[in-house]
Amino acid sequence: MPQEKVDVLVIGSGHSGGMAAKILTEKGIRCVMLNAGPIVDYQKDRETKAAYELPYRGMNMPGRVPHVWQANEFNANVWVDEKEVPYTYPQDKTYNWVRVRLFGGRSLFWACQSYRLSDYEFKARDHEGAGDNWPISLADLAPYYSRVEQIFRVRGQVNGLPQMPDGNFILDDSPWSGAMQRFAAAGKKVGVPLCKARVSVGKDGLASSINLLLPDAMATGKLTTVPNAVVRQITVDKNTGLANGALFVDRHSRREMEVKARVVVLAAGCLESTRLLLNSGLANSSGVLGHYLQDQVYGPGVSCSVPEARDGKSNSRLMGGGGIVPRFRNLDTKAKNFVGGYALTVGGGTGGMDPKNFAEYGPELQKKLDSYYGSGFGIGLMAAVLGRYENHVSIDKTKVDAWGIPVLHIDTKYTDNETNMVRDAVDTGAEIAEAAGFEVLVKNYEPNPPGYSIHELGSCRMGDNKKTSVLNKWNQSHDIKNLFVVDASSFVNGGWQNPTMTIASLSMRASEYMAEQMRQGNI
Amino acid sequence: MARMKRRDFVKALVAVPAAARAMLGGRVATAESAAAVSSPTAAAGTVVVPSMSKAVANFDYRTQMLAASVPDTVAATQGHFFNAQQMATLRRLGDLFQPAANGYPGATQAGTPEFLDFLIGASPAERKTLYLAGLDRLNTEAHKEFGKPFAEVNAEEADKLIRPWLRAWMNDHPPTEPYARFMNLAHAEIRTATMNSEAWSVAATSSGERAPGIGQYWSPIDPDIQIYV
Repeated sequence: MPQEKVDVLVIGSGHSGGMAAKILTEKGIRCVMLNAGPIVDYQKDRETKAAYELPYRGMNMPGRVPHVWQANEFNANVWVDEKEVPYTYPQDKTYNWVRVRLFGGRSLFWACQSYRLSDYEFKARDHEGAGDNWPISLADLAPYYSRVEQIFRVRGQVNGLPQMPDGNFILDDSPWSGAMQRFAAAGKKVGVPLCKARVSVGKDGLASSINLLLPDAMATGKLTTVPNAVVRQITVDKNTGLANGALFVDRHSRREMEVKARVVVLAAGCLESTRLLLNSGLANSSGVLGHYLQDQVYGPGVSCSVPEARDGKSNSRLMGGGGIVPRFRNLDTKAKNFVGGYALTVGGGTGGMDPKNFAEYGPELQKKLDSYYGSGFGIGLMAAVLGRYENHVSIDKTKVDAWGIPVLHIDTKYTDNETNMVRDAVDTGAEIAEAAGFEVLVKNYEPNPPGYSIHELGSCRMGDNKKTSVLNKWNQSHDIKNLFVVDASSFVNGGWQNPTMTIASLSMRASEYMAEQMRQGNI
Repeated sequence: MARMKRRDFVKALVAVPAAARAMLGGRVATAESAAAVSSPTAAAGTVVVPSMSKAVANFDYRTQMLAASVPDTVAATQGHFFNAQQMATLRRLGDLFQPAANGYPGATQAGTPEFLDFLIGASPAERKTLYLAGLDRLNTEAHKEFGKPFAEVNAEEADKLIRPWLRAWMNDHPPTEPYARFMNLAHAEIRTATMNSEAWSVAATSSGERAPGIGQYWSPIDPDIQIYV
């Protein structure tokens, strides 16, 4: 019965779409899920190989996925091919858009770092007069965070820090290594806390939509999944102005298809959802659709060595393990030249060090690598980027993808605020490392291009004022009441935190609201 | 219905287990799943193929995997991107950056200069220019300082030309000054190409150590089909 209207059409299958499908189907609502790419088979699609067996000795096919710095010759086939689905940006504003279209999306490959936002992010305008407030607070989302943490099995410690709210954790009672204790002690002297990272354990080594969320939805018998469905447009009933389905293209045959639905849920991943709305000409009475794009600054950092671990003395009591320094700037005091905050990820290694860390070559380099083996200690950065109107995306009408769908033009850049924050982060991290007795080998102040963090946020933001936001506080379009956008495009301020817990919690909350509205006949 | 040609019949035989395997996602077939495969009345939404005879449905031919070698086992790369002088400079640089040691091959033994000729020659213009200009400058400076090509400088002389440009760096941020960028990227790439070579892997295996560069390779996943009309 192809033309029968489904209850809810979910576009996208990552954590946000998977959560929507789980919640809705468990309430008896029939869902169809469209995903642009195929279903992955871990047994069939992967095999162990040596680099020399690959065409380019593991050194990447030149020119392939040039903006995916995470790509290598082993995993090149999992990323979206930029020739197939291109995007554009101004010549001086490189953007690294990192995409996965496999069923489950980027949830197949995320780093499992699991943090809640705090009211420093939800109420950023109130706190420091920058950015905008979300229409919700931590208290609104906390119950959903707890349920999401239970599903994802988040391992962590209770720290009692308002900037990194505690949650529903599997207790991490692993001891700190000696190097971590030294870093923690040195940081404490200057008011910089060190905490255990919070990590989704998931099941069987995976914390993806495909193993934590979609199986529950499938078990209800209410979910129909369709891979290889490239959606080109959300359709609208001319009489009511309501969304009534979507047009999509079969990825393989290019057959054009139409699906009808009572409610449409967009969960295609931040910028793909916004691209779809822009291409559909919908939900933009505010004029801010596509605007306030943000992410987090990655790339800067410090590479160190712990002298006591050199020359064969490295062991698991001294080295290894990692942690997070949650935001500590602009909480009770004010930084001199930036607003917002950053986190540091820190950790000690027990293996070989990166030869790039030494200005040596040949036998001298080998001596260094032998001596420093097992002594590495790294500091990385996750810095908040405020949502700014001028950082935006639009449709590039001069270019289409392999299915004839107009592509996205991304126009965004970092400002002095991010530059100043990076300098403070790298210098502070290096100072703590030196105070801990570590040797600082390299400092890098240069950020990776925007987008690199794979934490693109905003561009379809929520808010109470429909003149300055696209969605209401339930992830529901201000303009079209049966259209919901449940991925990270709804973010107002992303902070420094990895966004997955917030994405899944927002989707859970929006889906329960949606189900109730459907039950009441409001949509 | 026309009689099935023999080659089509053979194709059909080969195709059946492949299709069944694809639908079962590589898992072991169960009676229930086998029924779904063979029954055109399977639940809506599942993939259905026409009915098959029992003999065909039970057909389970397994391809015997043949042992195969990479081309480097039997052949050398025929370079054509760098000119003779640039290639000689790169070979000397490879000997210095990654010499043979402790039973492991150096850049030369791993065929690294020839491999980089192929890799850089297949690269975007920016990378090509970086290498071409870098190798030419290195050779020019060798002539200027020591009156001979870089390919003929001794280790001490070479060190005077290389060391001032080496930097400690991290992540994806090599030096931005073009000549320093060339020197540091060439260093990193000569090391990687050597350590990722088959020759290095053989040496590691011989010494009972784990070869570097072993990973989980993802095949193309249900790649797009070509349209011919």
